[in-house]
Amino acid sequence: MSSAVAGSKDVWTRLVQAFALAVTVCMLFGATRLTPELKGELGSVAGVGFLLLAGTLLSELLETIGLPHLSGYLLAGIIGGPDVLELVDHHTVDQLSPVNTLALALIALAGGAELKVSTLRQVAKSLSYAMFLQSVLVGVVMTVAMFFLGRFTPFFATLAPVPMFGVALLWGVLSITRSPSACMGILSQTRAKGPVATFALAFIMSSDVVVVVLVAAAMMLARPLIAGSGGFSVRDVQDLGHELLGSIAFGTTLGLALAAYLKLVGRGLLLVLLAIGFGLSDFLRYVKVDATLAFMVAGFVVQNLTAQGEKLLHAIEQTGNVVFVVFFANAGAHLNVPLLRKFWPIALTLCVIRGLATYAAHLVSSRVASDPPVLKKWGWSSLVSQAGLALGLSMTIANAFPGLGDGFRSLAIAAVAINEMIGPVLFKLALDRAGETRSEEAEISRTSLMPPAQV
Amino acid sequence: MSGGIAVLLGLLVVAFVSSMLVGGRTIRGFGLPSGAEYLVLGVAAGPHGLGLLPRSTVHSFQPIFACAAAWLAFVVGLGYLLVGRRRVRLGRAVTGIFGAALVGAGVSAALFVTLDALDILHGFERLELALGAGFVGSETTRHTVRWVAERHGARGKLSDWLADMARASALVPVLGLGILFAVAPDAPLGAFDLSVRVGCTLGIGVVMGLVAAVLLGREFRRDESWGILLGTSLLAAGVAMRLGLAAVATLFAMGLTVSIASRHRLEIKYMVQPTEKPVLLPVVLVAGACVDFDSLPKLWLLVAVALAARLGAEVVRGVVLIALLPAARASGPRIGFGMASTGAISLALAFTLLVRLPGRASSAVLLLAAAGVLLGELIGPAELKRALEAAGETHAVDAESDVAPLSLPSSALHDSDFGERTSVSDFPEARR
Repeated sequence: MSSAVAGSKDVWTRLVQAFALAVTVCMLFGATRLTPELKGELGSVAGVGFLLLAGTLLSELLETIGLPHLSGYLLAGIIGGPDVLELVDHHTVDQLSPVNTLALALIALAGGAELKVSTLRQVAKSLSYAMFLQSVLVGVVMTVAMFFLGRFTPFFATLAPVPMFGVALLWGVLSITRSPSACMGILSQTRAKGPVATFALAFIMSSDVVVVVLVAAAMMLARPLIAGSGGFSVRDVQDLGHELLGSIAFGTTLGLALAAYLKLVGRGLLLVLLAIGFGLSDFLRYVKVDATLAFMVAGFVVQNLTAQGEKLLHAIEQTGNVVFVVFFANAGAHLNVPLLRKFWPIALTLCVIRGLATYAAHLVSSRVASDPPVLKKWGWSSLVSQAGLALGLSMTIANAFPGLGDGFRSLAIAAVAINEMIGPVLFKLALDRAGETRSEEAEISRTSLMPPAQV
Repeated sequence: MSGGIAVLLGLLVVAFVSSMLVGGRTIRGFGLPSGAEYLVLGVAAGPHGLGLLPRSTVHSFQPIFACAAAWLAFVVGLGYLLVGRRRVRLGRAVTGIFGAALVGAGVSAALFVTLDALDILHGFERLELALGAGFVGSETTRHTVRWVAERHGARGKLSDWLADMARASALVPVLGLGILFAVAPDAPLGAFDLSVRVGCTLGIGVVMGLVAAVLLGREFRRDESWGILLGTSLLAAGVAMRLGLAAVATLFAMGLTVSIASRHRLEIKYMVQPTEKPVLLPVVLVAGACVDFDSLPKLWLLVAVALAARLGAEVVRGVVLIALLPAARASGPRIGFGMASTGAISLALAFTLLVRLPGRASSAVLLLAAAGVLLGELIGPAELKRALEAAGETHAVDAESDVAPLSLPSSALHDSDFGERTSVSDFPEARR
């Protein structure tokens, strides 16, 4: 009886949410059609509100069919974005880049703070084998795949074999990037705890360092292949070392400062996190330090060298709830639907090959590391997602090799879009199947009562 | 680091300081009730002062602060009918609205006649200046009553009346601005009748308020509630701004709707209330930076006329108050001066007008609002204290004591430190 009541109540709640979503869409649709000439700042405010509200509501509705909240946010952005209903215009999507910066800073901080030394020790063996095999096997397979499939794209069909190999090498390295944001988004929603969740977090966060090094190395190797001139430069290695050491040094300092603030003041954390997200990211870019790595190190320091880790995680969670919805919904709105429509066959093929390579690399590494059965079965699922990091690197590569034109970046966007949509669903499914999601505790955590302004 | 980021960081520092001022019993009473010190800081940092906030930078942030002003209107609307857990009494609310309308009408009439006599501005601009200055000058900041009550431990019928009247007075400037925006000649909905435009201004707020109330109605989960509240309010404000309507009036209507329709009105109120000062004071600072002392000829004469008209109207309000309330008789008509404190909300509204209808008239309205805030700060709290002393209501309770909100669950008190943030004046009945 009680379950029947609960069931009908749930249906009623979903109906109310669906109705509210319809009202939201209709209201903004009416306003945009009444004043089609008005774009820019005036449209941005309503656009952000739409992304936030529609993302929240759609994620709740999709939850009923087992999809992660993240998919709801992305879908809200895609539907409301410039290529479908045009409720959110290109200007708004561009205007929201500071929100992306803030979200990525929060994700990196949270990711670092989630990594405990004790946890890393537990998974050290699995992690090292997986890191090596995932980087090498996926990188090599995707380089070969791109070398052969690239001929079927309009951009690379005319390239000679050597430059084509350079392009394929870059694609191979790009393929080993994962999505810390998707991982954190799913873990934050599900509160999953267990071998799969622990492995995913440890692998994806630490792979950021490996990716930075490999991308830099690949660009050094690819430059003479693509341009047909130049060679290896010691300066590039120096720059890379400077970037890595600078990031670690800055992150350690920031972590200690944050810990001191948390201990001595402990209030107004929302504003402190906003200042870090907006101000420090800008500053780090200026001094050529990798912001993601620096923030991750800061979170790691707070968690492992001080007793303030939980407080920091709680503050980020409270701040991030709203920021992440806008971030992912904006990522959905940013999705270039016409481009995806144009390149989906080749992009999908590359994604399938990447998925298979990831799965194969995981099978081998988990067998060698003697992982527990549940990790052997589902450990690969978190490694499919790709998002901001891959897009950022594709832009870096496109800027470094202007001769490639927009082709490389366009194909990367299309492939990332597919991985971005499929990856979180796979990871959530795996966590559910592995029995690591704890919906009751997740609900309890949602009733925390700290208002963002006072976090 | 870009100039925009530097300014943003500076404003975050202001918001940080403001958030520190919101809570903590150790520094309660610190700062002025109207937030005039932030106004002066803004003027000093603005283009007319040290030039730390250049005009172009301020201009680029204007839409964000217009949104912030709309959020403040939402917070005001949400708490419009409630003082702590107590509902505002109807008679007092009507008196408060009538008093504010009287003051606003007095200021508007005086300015309109003066503008006509001096032949300054014509057509809609003249109307905009006269009505705009009247509207933004009609409010009595509710913080003044609270501030005086807290400092002097006041309690009694007169303090409650004045608190209710001050709270009710916010309706006049917000609705007035809603009408003014609707009659503006370049409104995107110009093809529609005025009543439709005003109806849309309030209707969008009511619809989104109902949506928020329904979504928050079943389960109150705070993290999700923030997404819903921010989403609905940004959407409502954005749609109103896009249609050229007053987002402040829309969000005020939305807040009022939520407070009427949601069974979680108290929880929502206590959830959003701590955001008021961290949002308000940066808005005041930026409004201060936008104050232009040269927008019109003979501007200082207009300032003098507006302030004199306000004080005259306050005396009339004092007479009305004496007639209605025996406790007010001891202080005489001067009690009206105690209601002369306009606050940061007035400045935020004037700033909104400047963003929506940039020009000489709205610049002058902002200056008049700033002058009103400074005048109110000089005489309002002192006169209010005098009136409460004359009525024998000061030192009725220990101003340092705190009372926790009785309606909230203990977990809420524990988690959100509300015990530290709420004050005696928020829960008058709990003290008795």
